[in-house]
Parts: sequence; C-alpha cells; structure tokens
Amino acid sequence: MNKGRRLVLKVALLLWLPLLATLLGGAIKPYYGGEAVIRLNEPTSFHLNTANYSNLIFSSLIYESFFYLKKDGEITSNVFREYRYDAAVRTLFLSVKDNLSFSNGKPLTAKNIQVSLKVFMGSDLITASRLSKAVKGIRIGEGQVAIELLADNPDIVSMLTAPELVVLAEDEQSFSGPFYPQEWEKGRSLILNSNPFYAGGRTYLDRVRVTFTEGQAPDLFLAGPGQFKDNFLEFDSGIYQNIYLCFLQGDIGQNTKVALYSLLQRFNEATGFKYRGLNALTADEESPVSIRIKALTPQKTASILKYSEIKLYALSSLSYLEKDLNAFLKSSNLKIEMLFVDDSQFMAFLDSAAIKYVLIDKIFQKKAPAEEKISRILKETSFNQFNAKYLRMLSELDEARFSNSQELLTEQIARISEAIISDGFIFPLFQKNYALYVSRSLPSLEVDYYGRPLLQKVGKANE
Amino acid sequence: MKKAICSVLLLIAAGASGICQQGAEALVAESASFLAAFFKDMPDARVAVVRFENDSELTDLAMQKIYQMLVSRLEGEKNFRVLDLLLDFTGGRGEFNLDQPGTLDFLIEMKLIQNKSRTGLGLTVFSRLQDRVVAVKYFERPVSKGEMDLLNTRSYAFSGLGFSKLLEFESRMGLMDIQSISAEDGQEQYFFYYPDEIIIYSARETRLEKHFQFKLFWKRPVYPVLHPEGKLLLFRLDRDLVLTAGNNFSPTAQVLTYRDGQWQESRKIEFVPFRFVTLNQTPYLVGARYEEGRNFFKDRVYFQPFSPAASGGANALEKKTCPAMSLDFSSLDGQLQGVHVIDRSYSYRLFTSDFEEKKPLPEKKGASLAASGGEWLAVSDYSRNSDQLFFYDIRDGGLRQVYAGKVSGEIQFISAGSWLGTKGFWAGVRQQVDGLERLMVQFWGKSNE
Repeated sequence: MNKGRRLVLKVALLLWLPLLATLLGGAIKPYYGGEAVIRLNEPTSFHLNTANYSNLIFSSLIYESFFYLKKDGEITSNVFREYRYDAAVRTLFLSVKDNLSFSNGKPLTAKNIQVSLKVFMGSDLITASRLSKAVKGIRIGEGQVAIELLADNPDIVSMLTAPELVVLAEDEQSFSGPFYPQEWEKGRSLILNSNPFYAGGRTYLDRVRVTFTEGQAPDLFLAGPGQFKDNFLEFDSGIYQNIYLCFLQGDIGQNTKVALYSLLQRFNEATGFKYRGLNALTADEESPVSIRIKALTPQKTASILKYSEIKLYALSSLSYLEKDLNAFLKSSNLKIEMLFVDDSQFMAFLDSAAIKYVLIDKIFQKKAPAEEKISRILKETSFNQFNAKYLRMLSELDEARFSNSQELLTEQIARISEAIISDGFIFPLFQKNYALYVSRSLPSLEVDYYGRPLLQKVGKANE
Repeated sequence: MKKAICSVLLLIAAGASGICQQGAEALVAESASFLAAFFKDMPDARVAVVRFENDSELTDLAMQKIYQMLVSRLEGEKNFRVLDLLLDFTGGRGEFNLDQPGTLDFLIEMKLIQNKSRTGLGLTVFSRLQDRVVAVKYFERPVSKGEMDLLNTRSYAFSGLGFSKLLEFESRMGLMDIQSISAEDGQEQYFFYYPDEIIIYSARETRLEKHFQFKLFWKRPVYPVLHPEGKLLLFRLDRDLVLTAGNNFSPTAQVLTYRDGQWQESRKIEFVPFRFVTLNQTPYLVGARYEEGRNFFKDRVYFQPFSPAASGGANALEKKTCPAMSLDFSSLDGQLQGVHVIDRSYSYRLFTSDFEEKKPLPEKKGASLAASGGEWLAVSDYSRNSDQLFFYDIRDGGLRQVYAGKVSGEIQFISAGSWLGTKGFWAGVRQQVDGLERLMVQFWGKSNE
C-alpha cells in the first residue's frame, strides 16, 4: 500500500472522530457549562503570537490549528473533512468541512484556508520557510484547497502541524478557535467565551477566564516541574525555554559582553539558582559543544561596567524577571536600566542602533531534532548580523541532514555553535523547564506534541 | 395482565417460603371484597387509592406488593373502574399522582397498622361528589415473620413476562434515533436517523433489509457538535406521510413529505418535534429546542399548529418546563398526558399536561428516557460502564417501576417504537469490544403482548 493510500485511510478514521467522541460521553451525558481559570502572561493584543509558551497556549484558545499533532504522532484536524495526497500530481487536497463559521457566524471557507496558509508561509519561521520552499502553488475549488508541491512529498501533512499555522479571519473580530474574547480587564483578566461555531464541536466549558495575577487559584497554569503535586495533575509540557543574552551591535567590546554575562549569572546565584544554567545553544544534553564562558569576579565586573550606561532590553515574555532583576541591578549600584519590549514590536526596533543589549527567549520542543533547533537559533537570533557565512553554514547543515550521516550532522552542528559563540552575538544564559499543572477538577485534559493543553473536551462537573 | 403477574408472584412466594401468604393475601382479599361490594351498584364509578401509609414493620417494598395485589384484584371488577395513580412508595408513604382529582368519584385512603402479632389494613372511602367520608373499614390478620420477610424482598414482577431484549444488531456509529410506521402495503418500515442521512429498512422475518435512503442537507447556521443528537417523528396527515427531523446542530428541523414517490421538503420548524397531538380538535406538533451545539434542551416546550393548510406561519405556543438532558411526551389517543424530563442534575421530573410540575416526586436519577404512548416509560440508569433500563408503568398517570433489564454497554438514546407489531423501546447502546467502539441497536419489548 503506498503512502497516499495510507493517508486516505487515516482520513477515514478522522472523519469518524466526532462520532466516536459522541459516544465517549458514556451513559451519563457529559455536562456543558462552567468556567476554567487559566493563569498566563497577559497578551498585548489578539493578533497571533506564538513567540513564547504562554502566548502559544493563549493563541491556541482563540485560533484553530490546521492540524493537531498528538504526542503519539497521530495527526488530526477539526477543520478538514478529509485530506488526501495524490502522488501522481504531487498535490495535497484538503476538503474543508461544510457550513463552518468563525465565532461571529461569518462563513469559514476554502478561501480563508488559502489566505491563512499564505500568511504562514510568508512568516519568519523555519517551518514556514521549509513549507514555502516545498510548495509550488495553492489553488482553491468548491470547498477544497489544493496544495501543489515542487517535489513528491507524501509527508507534507506533517509540515502543516506547526502550531503557528492557524485559520485566520479577514477581520479582527472573528476567531476560529474553541473560544473567542469577550471581555478584557487590562492587567487583571480576560474572559473568553465558548465559540458556538467551533469546527471541532462546542466545548463543554462555557468560558475560560485567563488571569494575569496571582490572586485567583487557577485551574491550569505553568510552573517549574515537581511542584503542586497534591492538588494538580502535572503534565510534561514537552518544551523548554532558553534565555539568551544577545548583542545587536558589532561595536561592543568583549569585556563588556562577558561582564554583563557575569552579572546575569550572579543574578541567578542571588535568586538561589532559580534558573538552570545553560552551557549550550540548545540543551546541554544534546549539544555536541559545551560552551564555557568564564565569569568575571564581581570586582572586575563592576570596574568594567562602572562607567557604562546600559539599557538592557528584554522581551515582554520575560517580564517575570522584572521584579527580581531590577532589585538586583539596583543593589549592584550600576547604571543599568531594564526595558521591556513587546515581542511583536521588537522586530521594528531592530533597525535602531539604540538597542545594543537584549535578553530574548526561545521555546523549543524537546523532541525536535538538534539540527532544527540550531538552524532556528542561527536564523532567529543573529538578527541584523546574519550574513553570507551563516547562509552557507545553513546550506551545509541541510546537506548534512540529507546525507543520512549522523557524524556529519553532529560535526556541522558543532561548527555552527562554535561560529555563533566566537562571533559573540549571543551568549546562552538559562534554561527553564515547564510543567503544565491542571486542577484535578478538570479531568480528561490532553496536551499535544507542542505542549498545548487541549480544552475542547474538558468539562466541569455539574455545578 | 396485572392480575396474572400478581398470581405468579404469589405462587413464587409460596414456593419459596413453603407457607402460604395467608395473612397478607387474606387482608387484600377481604379489602377487595369489601370495596367490590361497596361499589357494586355504581357501574361508572372511578375509584383510586390516593393515600397509603405504613405503620408496621413492613418495608416500602412490601407495601408496594400489597398495593399491587389490591389494585390487581380491583381491576378485575367490572362494576367500577379503578385507576392506578401510584408514583412511588418511599419513607412509609405512597406518592400518588393527584393532578386531576376531578376525574375521580371516590378516593380511598389506606393504612397498614401493626398490632402485636397481627397486622391490620384500614380503608377509608371518600366521595368527591358528596364531599364526605362514606365508608371506613378495618381488617386484621396475623402475618408471620417469615411472610413479612418474603413480602420485604425485591420482586415486583415476573421478569419472564416483562420487557426483554427481543432484537439486537450492530449499526454504524452516529445513529441518533429510530422510528417506524406502517407503509401503505401494511409492511412496517424502520427509519434510522443519522446526522447526514436517513436509511429506511423493512423487516424480513427477524432481519432488516435496506429499502431506501436519502441524504439530509443542513444549511447555515450549523453548530458543530461533539455529541450529535436528534429526534425523528413520523405521522400520517391526510394521505401524506410526514417526517420531521430535528437535532442539536441545526436550529431548524426539516419537515419532509412523501408525495408522488419521493421525499419533498415542505417547511421548517424552529424546534425538534417529538409528537403529533390533538388539543381542542387542533393538530399540533409538540417538541422542544436544543441549546445550540449542546446536548440538552431549553426550558420550554413548543406547540406548533400543524395541518396541510397551515404552512408553518403560525406562531408556536410556548410552555415553561425546565432544561432537560432528555425528555419525552406521553400521549394516549393523540392527547397529551405528561412531559417526562431528566433535568440537568440528571434527576427525573414530571410535568402534567397542564405543565404543572408534579411535586413532590421521589428522587430518581436517570440519563435517557422515552415514553411509549401513555403506558410505559423507559429510563436508563444514572451510571457508567454497566447500564440498566427501568420500565415504569405510567398508565392512569402513575409511575411504578415494574421491570428492569441489564444492558451490556452504555445507553446513548432510547426511543419508543415497535418491532414486528410488538410495542416497546429502541435503545442505542455503545459497547467496547477489544478496545474498539461499536453501536448496538436493541429492541426491548414484552414478548407476551
């Protein structure tokens, strides 16, 4: 049986999923109603933003993915009635379910799928550029989207499971996800109502309250692993968050870079090593290169930074550092000012010479291949210093990937890591591992491959 | 029938204990004789027990048996008509449906009293027309400890004569309802309602043969659901066969008419029709409306005047009930009798034909239900994994559990229907075999009817 045929069979199973779900309720019908409280970082807008884990979760509540990748590798979709890859014409056919609507009742059609796919392919993401390179054209017909490929690739669907590939509407008031925004009390909470037109079938919950403060005990939140075991179910999120110190201008002296690095290491020490030290660009366990930057003594650090007036920018996704870091910097008597900038605005600041030092974070899937991660780091953190040398390195990495030689691949990853570090535009600082904690009052919650909680079939007992 | 069941019960009881139920049986026989003699010259009198209290060490189960024995004997009397209004017997008191006392001529109060080794049964007969007590009688007999133990056991009926599974087969997933109707040639046709189509089968011996099928097309707004649910209604109007199909993913139900050899969409109804009834000589579609995209009904029932002349323009009348996980209407001879509801707390509730809630009702939990005419009510158990069907006798407005049947799997829906002329209930049952889901269709009926 060829791969195309296998896909069709999978689709046949997918078609029955809603019906199977029908029956999973048991003799006692499931209860519709109630509210779940989720604690996340406050978003800056309702635009799609998956730059960090908190935003990734938030986006998954209001935007529907083309496809879901489960932890066991199963691929499912709520939007497509069927998908079929025809190897003869190198085309993936996606059949959109009939009568779908966005949250405000406006029709969700094949045209929306086509536009959403093009927006994704135009984004600055490695998965998007890979897909963009593979696609020759996208056509739409009656309820169908045809993605024609440049070369035969029966696994094309797996490229469409990226969490950033979501169904977008033409206007800002329409949402495709299981919930839609209802009321936003800035700085406190955001109420999301159940989307009555959700393609996967209306959620059991009537509402999700996203809180941004510590006050109300949430049903779902993120924290370091191994805590809260008594009252919450702990899920391995399957991701980690790396924090890097980046230098955006080429005129920064090595001493200053290392002094700032040393200062931030000492900040971690002062917090009782809240964050795990990172000695690699990806993860210590998988990197062929161990990066050891010798920290300077406090005296040396102080003498180097004493006369500098440093503006240390940080992405707003790192705002949880603000309180501790500001207090630490204040106690160091150095003229270092912390400034937080929104993820979506950050790219616009890049052309400004004013930004020299920036703390950024990157979320990685633990299971993603190391070459994919290193490629992403090189592309997404070299900013305006990306040059022909890096482009060549990425091409060589691609070649190594297709050579089927693990040795060659490891060697190329090591070469890129060394080049990045010696060029000095990025220093790895810390790694944060996340667990997703779910209240025991919310059973049946699943987490997908990307660590996103799937709230569709989560219900509360009759209240 | 009740008399037959009662006799069988007595035989079983006698066989099991080795002694005759002299005491209880004698009490019942004497009471029945007294009442038969009292109403002898009142041929059209409508009589019902409306109060029954227990002041003995017998349990509620025993009281139900004594009540059944008495009513069974009285039902055999041709001189007057006895109505069985018992809803339940709990906490030493019988609960009776007293919503329409105006239909009764005589009301009977009974009390069971224990006096050392003897047990007494007191009867008070009240005339509604005369508005006074017209008879008081007390009988006393010794009831042994063994007989009391026997009376206290749980056995209301002989299960072999009750509802049993007469048919079982596998269906494709997603089946929402089954209804049947006699075709013009007299052959019974069975309509299976899926979210996207209706398949019509004919019975050939004990098998179903596909006769016809047609697709159903739903238009915006469509509310995608995790749990598709729907109700089908079939009835004849003049010479047309009319089919209505409503569900929880479309706000309107389709009304199709079989005319000139094909199904034609005739109109839309803004609720899910359950029954076609006549009120004050006006035919109505009666139903309820789902909360869109969810698995429960709103707190209203609707009456839409329905005739070939009324093209759906008339406004539907609304009556308030309560949000319902499951509901059905009991009707007899086209007249609405009551609305049976499993509410959102999974509790059974009953509304009369005047939409007054019957209170108090004994606490009963359930999941799905269906009423077969005005005679039987089937309720699935409030449980997971192992399910049961409970069959209640609702004739005359009572609610008395008579039979129960264990079901392997979990009941998804129940519909009143018939199979090869036998009235009963269809049940869609989810089963899991070797990790795979399957949907079994079962028909439960009384094989002796």
